[in-house]
Amino acid sequence: MPKIEITENLLTHFAGRKFSEKELEDIAVVAKAEIDGRNEEEGLIKIELNDTNRPDLWSTPGLARQFRIFLNDKEYCYNFFSGSKETKEYGSRVIKVDPELKKIRPFITAFQADGHEVDEPQLLDLIQSQEKLCWNFGRKRSSIAMGIYRADLINFPVHFRAADPDLTGFIPLGEEKKMSLREITKKHPKGVEFGWIVAPFNKYPYLEDNSGNTLSFPPVINSAHLGAVKVGDSSLFIELTGTDLNSLLLAASIAACDLSDAGFTIKPVKVEYPYETSYGRDIVTPYYFQKPVVLDIDYSNKLLGEDLTIEETAGYIKKMGNSIAVEDKKIILNPPPYRNDFMHPVDIVEEIMIGRGMNSFKPVPPEDFTMGKLSSTEEFSRRVRDIMVGLGYQEMIYNYLGSKHEFVEKMNIDSDDIIEIKNPMTENFEILRNSILPNLLNSESVSGNALYPHRIFEIGKIAVIDSRENYGTSTKNYLSLLLSDREAGFNEANSHISAVFFYLSMDYSLKEAEDPRFITGRCANIIFNGEVIGISGEISPQILENWGIEMPCTGVEINLDFLIRS
Amino acid sequence: MNLESTVRGLHPLEIKVLLNFKGSEEITKNDLMERLSYNEGQCNQAFSWLTSKNLLKEKSRTGRIFYELTELGIKYQKEGTPEENILKLLSQEGPLTISEITKRLNLENRDVGSAYGKLSKEGLLSMSEKKEVFISCDNFEEKLKDLRNLLNKLFKSGRVPEESLREEETEILKSLSRKRSSSRGVFKILEREDIIYTITEAGIKAKELLKAGGITGEEIGAVTPEILKNGEWKNKRFRSYNINIPPVRVLLGRKNPYGEFLEKLKDKLSSLGFEEFDGPLVETEFWNSDALYMPQFHSARDIHDVYYVNNPSHAKEIEQPYLDQVAASHENGWKTGSRGWEYKFDRDFTRKLILRSHGTVLSAKTLTHAKVPGKYFGVVRCFRYDKVDATHLADFYQTEGIVLGENVNLKTLLGLLKMFAEEVAGAKEVRYVPGYFPFTEPSVEVHIKHPVLGWFELGGSGIFRPEVTEPLGIKVPVLAWGLGIDRMALMSLGLEDLRELFSNDIEQVRLRRRK
Repeated sequence: MPKIEITENLLTHFAGRKFSEKELEDIAVVAKAEIDGRNEEEGLIKIELNDTNRPDLWSTPGLARQFRIFLNDKEYCYNFFSGSKETKEYGSRVIKVDPELKKIRPFITAFQADGHEVDEPQLLDLIQSQEKLCWNFGRKRSSIAMGIYRADLINFPVHFRAADPDLTGFIPLGEEKKMSLREITKKHPKGVEFGWIVAPFNKYPYLEDNSGNTLSFPPVINSAHLGAVKVGDSSLFIELTGTDLNSLLLAASIAACDLSDAGFTIKPVKVEYPYETSYGRDIVTPYYFQKPVVLDIDYSNKLLGEDLTIEETAGYIKKMGNSIAVEDKKIILNPPPYRNDFMHPVDIVEEIMIGRGMNSFKPVPPEDFTMGKLSSTEEFSRRVRDIMVGLGYQEMIYNYLGSKHEFVEKMNIDSDDIIEIKNPMTENFEILRNSILPNLLNSESVSGNALYPHRIFEIGKIAVIDSRENYGTSTKNYLSLLLSDREAGFNEANSHISAVFFYLSMDYSLKEAEDPRFITGRCANIIFNGEVIGISGEISPQILENWGIEMPCTGVEINLDFLIRS
Repeated sequence: MNLESTVRGLHPLEIKVLLNFKGSEEITKNDLMERLSYNEGQCNQAFSWLTSKNLLKEKSRTGRIFYELTELGIKYQKEGTPEENILKLLSQEGPLTISEITKRLNLENRDVGSAYGKLSKEGLLSMSEKKEVFISCDNFEEKLKDLRNLLNKLFKSGRVPEESLREEETEILKSLSRKRSSSRGVFKILEREDIIYTITEAGIKAKELLKAGGITGEEIGAVTPEILKNGEWKNKRFRSYNINIPPVRVLLGRKNPYGEFLEKLKDKLSSLGFEEFDGPLVETEFWNSDALYMPQFHSARDIHDVYYVNNPSHAKEIEQPYLDQVAASHENGWKTGSRGWEYKFDRDFTRKLILRSHGTVLSAKTLTHAKVPGKYFGVVRCFRYDKVDATHLADFYQTEGIVLGENVNLKTLLGLLKMFAEEVAGAKEVRYVPGYFPFTEPSVEVHIKHPVLGWFELGGSGIFRPEVTEPLGIKVPVLAWGLGIDRMALMSLGLEDLRELFSNDIEQVRLRRRK
């Protein structure tokens, strides 16, 4: 979930009013935002935006727009959008796309913003919202990357090319010497961070103007010349490149609306593709691509549990900034140009909920009768747990993730059936446990000072590789116990196993077994209905030494699933 | 402690001492032995307890020396000393060589050697040219008489005080006493202190209280099967106990208090009409996210948010028709009326195995076989790619569930949340806020005012999107909810760090209590 930091002054400027702390918290709900913190001295507000499908809210102008619409009950009108029916004037502002980019980074959208001097807070906000947009919505720049340039230095048309990374070079932002594109991916900090996006390709995306001046190496870095925007600039060229055209069109629309709100005049740019796109070969951007969504108010009333009239419903939808048309019992919604989160009529239902206000819905207790029930695993585990407690054992609850060192090496077992994590964060959590005994031994190893005897157990899940299963693994419910004391031995443990089975009204038998974890001749398999379902034995001194334990231990492990199923 | 309760707690050994001596009387160990037939241990206990309670006080102590026989001394007394035995043998058999003596008496060489040395020095024995030993004195018995008498005397009376012995006797005793380094002494020297006690003022008062209460020290200590059978208890009283002695710690079998908390939560949810679900720890991308309509390109699905299984890396197959229907709902909305996420669904990626990252997986799987109306819940272990600290764990419990019904809607969702707030968290005040989850629309967060913790977010909820329910075969609306119970669990256990819920430390877990 994106978090942004905005200045109070800028918010006041864009929203057209000041908010008290309480007012801000209340209105934030409209944008599914939470106030995360406030720095009174510096006039900064930290805001968390919960809706990952509303990137239009991740900037001060965007957030202020939603507040203003809601409070003033007035929709916005932007007149710079082209669409399937209408194309706006683009003058000489043209971008020509290289056919080779189709497989590398196929799409670009752009516009120019003129007639307003950018000041520092606005510039910082612009950079922040660009970063949030490209990082969170643009998947770390891989599907959307944005560049901002000084438009007065650009000689149109601009060329979006697939360039040879070794033969093409320029002076990137933050450097003084010319570097090749490949050098940039290896040495420049932004190249190191984002170079992976272009690494699989022979040629890299590259933007230059008609005089051969470099704009940028998208999605990595701008040029130090055209791409260095400063406070006081009043003519900006904005482009976005990426892999998904709809996302790029939306992101360009959001940026254009934000800059328009800031006082810029938005001037369209034509992109000429040498290949087909969903909206033709020539697209003039900003471009309105959203499709209308139709809501039947019977549907919204059913989901909301209300009986709202079509007028009421329409009113709440409009209050959120949507332009709509009403036809009989249907509402046709044309999404605002900066939003593309209406996938299904259900998305309009939420607009009604927020537009009307959460407090207007009165909670109704659940009416349907249903039978409550615990799972058979839970029921059975509780029976076993009660017997274990009666036998004097302390129940433990452990993490299910562990290290190979503890679950394999210290246990002297091979790791054939152990489920390893491909991307562990630390070696403490690199496998899913295949047994509870190592957890119990770990407890013993850190509890030498606790009053003896130690009798501990856990009933929990383990998982192992199991090629017979569809998932190639299976999860099992286990009971494991550990006795630790001067006299803790096989016979005592067997008395306890015997008690568990007696009170479960089940029978078991023992069969001598060999297992590297236990002392030979003092270890047995537990047999139930002819199947091996567990093991019991005195823990081998070698294992105890591995754990640094200096007290005799006896351990038992039983697969409860066999008992639950029987 | 006041005197009454001190008196109540007196042991019979103490009671008898107090009752049998007068205020001014001097009391020694011997007195207790003679008058009360205490053994030495009982004497020591009685003195030590009574002085610690300030009922007796020490008046004086004098050092005394005693002698007693060692084990060797006892043997000599019974079987004769080597000297006695050599003289006896020679007087019966005539002259013999040293080795013959050794053999005949079954002694060790060095014993015979040193006995001969000693006796020849005193002129009792001599050796002939044939290396035979013979008696060279008439009244040899007289010469050994002193030692024999001492052996007999000490054997008879055990311990003999130095002052009761003659000087010559003391010299013999000292010369034959065990030296520190040697274990072969005949006698042992004991240095003992004689302590004289008298009764204190408090002791006198205690004695009066004992008399007034009719306590004799003959009260019954333990109730035994024997005295119950023979009726001995009938004319006797029972000794009172000191009930203020701190109790001895007991190690008992116990449920883990966190387990109890979870158990109570499960009971509560099942009492509200919810049926529990359960499932495997390893899941597929399909059920963990795809079936929940989270697009495969979503930023929350990056490699750094879930744990992938190394080997096997993929499930063999995904159940049909769910795979086709879910894939279509991502690509174009399928029959749900949605436009979908409009991308090419990756059927290889969807089979990838992961450790389930949220309980909603099981909600989705339950939809394929759910009853309508139906309510389901699970308190299940989940795994997150997170740095572990006091508020984040890599593996933890999540509480989630669903409600299916022809007539469930936003208002019944709020009613459900209100029920959780009141029944599960004990909250009176509830606030609902619009939320966002990729799989629900509308989505609502519930904030509650907890009686102890104050305002916090209890959970997230919503109505499952049609793109989630319809591909899994459900036509009715489904409420989905999740509760954050960690903070309540910590509070209930008096903890502040989530890691402690899964503590390894036996003592910590043993001593942990629920509030």
